[in-house]
Amino acid sequence: MMMKGPTTARRMDVQQAAGDLRNRTLSGLQRPLDRLIYLASTRDYNTGLYHHDGLAARYTPTVACEALADCHREVFQELLGCSVKELVAQVEGYMHSTGIEAAHFLTSWKRLEPYRIAVPVEIEPLAVEFLVCNLRTALAILEARLNRTPAAPAA
Amino acid sequence: MIQLIVFLFIGAVLFASLLLLARRSSRPEGGAETLIAARQALKQLQTSLLPPEMVDRLMAVEDFEFVAFAAPGPVNRVFRRQRKRIVLTWIHQVQHQIKSLRRFHLGAARFYARLSFRSEVSLAIDFASLLIACRALRVLVWIGGPLAAPRMAGATAAAALRICEVSEHALAFLNAPNPPLERTLAS
Repeated sequence: MMMKGPTTARRMDVQQAAGDLRNRTLSGLQRPLDRLIYLASTRDYNTGLYHHDGLAARYTPTVACEALADCHREVFQELLGCSVKELVAQVEGYMHSTGIEAAHFLTSWKRLEPYRIAVPVEIEPLAVEFLVCNLRTALAILEARLNRTPAAPAA
Repeated sequence: MIQLIVFLFIGAVLFASLLLLARRSSRPEGGAETLIAARQALKQLQTSLLPPEMVDRLMAVEDFEFVAFAAPGPVNRVFRRQRKRIVLTWIHQVQHQIKSLRRFHLGAARFYARLSFRSEVSLAIDFASLLIACRALRVLVWIGGPLAAPRMAGATAAAALRICEVSEHALAFLNAPNPPLERTLAS
């Protein structure tokens, strides 16, 4: 009988953990942009390591970290494949879900570019630049739409 | 006097050639650096630069049409300019990585991969034509914008992928039987 090496066994655990994460948590977030922001929020900015208590308890912290990193890269690739039109819809949907006033949200996102820190590690700078360019354009389109819409009369 | 100048000139040319040769031969053929660079180039080409979805998205007409319709004027201009820069960077990176693979084939492949003379000649032609195509594409995109030659870009990417396949075969000896997880975070 062939024995599985520790690397193969851990890889299988990571795949299983990633499957759990997709089915239980990420399936509740319909937009890839929401998933990207959620997954980025599970990463410690100081260490670059991902944390998820539920997954860590079920598997191990290392397996949970690798599963989160895998899903993060996967979602990034998904966003990379989105057209500008799709990105506009996603940013708009995310903006409404935050409950923040559109003008305020757009100004903050244009100034702070929070999506820049939501990028996984080991991603090619060209891919990052491509997504950033598309997101900036999406924000500019939303801003242009907002400026075209006449302001609602005060009650 | 003229003869002296001619001899001096020939001497200078010979000296410069010797210097050039000495510099070139100091770079070890088939060294570890070349192998690592080739491996990295192959990985970058296959995973980041050449996947068809990436190439299609870079030159997606629908994006340009949508932005031109949704935000004509400065937003559209900035978008086109940025996309042009990205496409030019993409071509430059493909060219750079292909050169890295060519370096590997010129040196290391002689020692590690048993390629027939015919295959080597065919590969050399492929490399040369691909690098010429990259240069032509850069000029076209620089002049005509990112949508100047989408078909040529697709064909260049496909040719580059073919070279990647050959290189992957030549670099196969580097693959461990049980590849370790490529993780930088966990280690």
